[in-house]
Amino acid sequence: MSEGGHGQGLVKGLAVTLKTMVRPAQTQQYPDVAPELPPRSRGVIALLEENCTVCMLCARECPDWCIYIDSHKEEVVVPGAARPRQRNVLDRFDIDFSLCMYCGICVEVCPFDALYWSPEFEYSEYDIRDLLHDKQHLGQWMATVPPPPAHDPHGEASKEETTAARRAAAPGAARGAPAGPAVRRERPARPAPEPGGAEA
Amino acid sequence: MLGMTTDTGALRELTVGTGSGLDTADMVLNIGPQHPSTHGVLRLKLVLDGERVVACEPIVGYMHRGAEKLFEVRDYRQIIVLANRHDWLSAFSSELGVVLAVERMMGIEVPERAIWLRTALAELNRVLNHLMFLGSYPLEIGAITPMFYAFREREALQTVMEEVSGGRVHYMFNRVGGLKEEVPAGWTRRAREAIDEVRRRLPDLDNLIRRNEIFLARTVGVGVLTAEQAAAFGASGPVGRASGLDLDLRRDDPYLAYGELDVPVVTRTTGDCHARFEVLLDQVYVSLDLAQQCLDRVDQITGPVNVRLPKVVKAPEGHTYAWTENPLGINGYYLVSRGEKTPWRLKLRTASYANVQALSTLIPGCLVPDLIAILGSMFFVVGDIDK
Repeated sequence: MSEGGHGQGLVKGLAVTLKTMVRPAQTQQYPDVAPELPPRSRGVIALLEENCTVCMLCARECPDWCIYIDSHKEEVVVPGAARPRQRNVLDRFDIDFSLCMYCGICVEVCPFDALYWSPEFEYSEYDIRDLLHDKQHLGQWMATVPPPPAHDPHGEASKEETTAARRAAAPGAARGAPAGPAVRRERPARPAPEPGGAEA
Repeated sequence: MLGMTTDTGALRELTVGTGSGLDTADMVLNIGPQHPSTHGVLRLKLVLDGERVVACEPIVGYMHRGAEKLFEVRDYRQIIVLANRHDWLSAFSSELGVVLAVERMMGIEVPERAIWLRTALAELNRVLNHLMFLGSYPLEIGAITPMFYAFREREALQTVMEEVSGGRVHYMFNRVGGLKEEVPAGWTRRAREAIDEVRRRLPDLDNLIRRNEIFLARTVGVGVLTAEQAAAFGASGPVGRASGLDLDLRRDDPYLAYGELDVPVVTRTTGDCHARFEVLLDQVYVSLDLAQQCLDRVDQITGPVNVRLPKVVKAPEGHTYAWTENPLGINGYYLVSRGEKTPWRLKLRTASYANVQALSTLIPGCLVPDLIAILGSMFFVVGDIDK
């Protein structure tokens, strides 16, 4: 601290305060104005039930085992086939968001694109048990899944783009597009909570 | 001492108080584990002689979560989840150490684009970490305003990090062999804009606090850690460099792309609280420049950001030691593998643990009011101490 320069530091500090005073505030008016979240934002996990084949990869890879899956096998009689086919039917798909660490490994390992990240984050509950979202509740989040952002042109194209390009180039390209998240530009409102929490 | 006349008229001496004469009993005072100034659950057992601290024993472990043991039952992708949580302010850099160790064991060549992106993100993470302490340290010794300026800048950078990784604190963006995915189109431009914005506004924070008389009075000459002491305790990072310990792994043992960058190492020699603060502040400018250079390189490199991994990632039998210059100092990762999907042992050497040990020599002799000034200037994260 140099003598004579006493008070200079305070003056400098106050100059910053004065400068900031005449500038608009940085405050985000959160509950009134929804924040703009990037599409990759890891808010909540959405389940596209039709795509799930009950392979259990997500439940196995989850570092804290917060995914619970139950299923049963069903026989489907296909006309003309020698034997009835077996297929897995999903009975239960729960994610316990009180345990989830939001790492996204389940979304990453899912080989059939049944899980997606949604930036939606307003699902706090008064009771910790209500943070266990069942497959119906997880399915409702699908409506909030944004389309993935385009990749940097310097890098590799995204998985979605390469598969789409391959499909388009394939001979049977006329067949229907696979089930994917609905492409929507703005964030829809969060799904209305079920009356009385009857879904638990 | 009190004189008093008895019935017999003789003068009798009566001693009042716990000690006698000038000898006063030392008081043992616990600071923490729940104390607002210790940010976390660090407990300091102090022996006080009046206002002066005679002895200080940092008692750690209140936040021990057994991270190293948990690593042994997690595969390498799951380890990243845990690795970015022990030091929640340097999540990206902590992930990095783990993946660098595994990549070295498996002999994976990381694509160039991924290396430069990792370097850029690691530097942005360093700025985020430093800004947190640049805000919280003045707050601890009574200056509330710098916090708001620090958080304004943090917000700008966090937006950039969130856009690329989806997380604001726990990025989960490193993978063995590279990064999780390519950055969104236009991200490098937005990141550069954020860096420019922070660089432009950082003088606000700088002007507010660096030469503030009250701040100087609280920090200059307080808590002096000599270079020998710093070396003896293994203090590294900003704490070590403020004592004149000229060691920075980014320059001295370059990993990632640091070998191709000119990393200016910020050092001071006084080793007091103010020097530690200044090192942090100046490192922010350096890191912003480095991040900018990395982003410029990223824009010139095309190619993938990760490699195709085998279905089951197994590190071959053996061991390796990877170390990185984390924002708080040197983090080391000793990985021992027996060829399984999980490590046999993954030992962490964390910067905060080593830095906080120096408190036992730094604090004795200081006054209680200086205690918080010293504690805050050691820049530790309790999760990083206890793991």
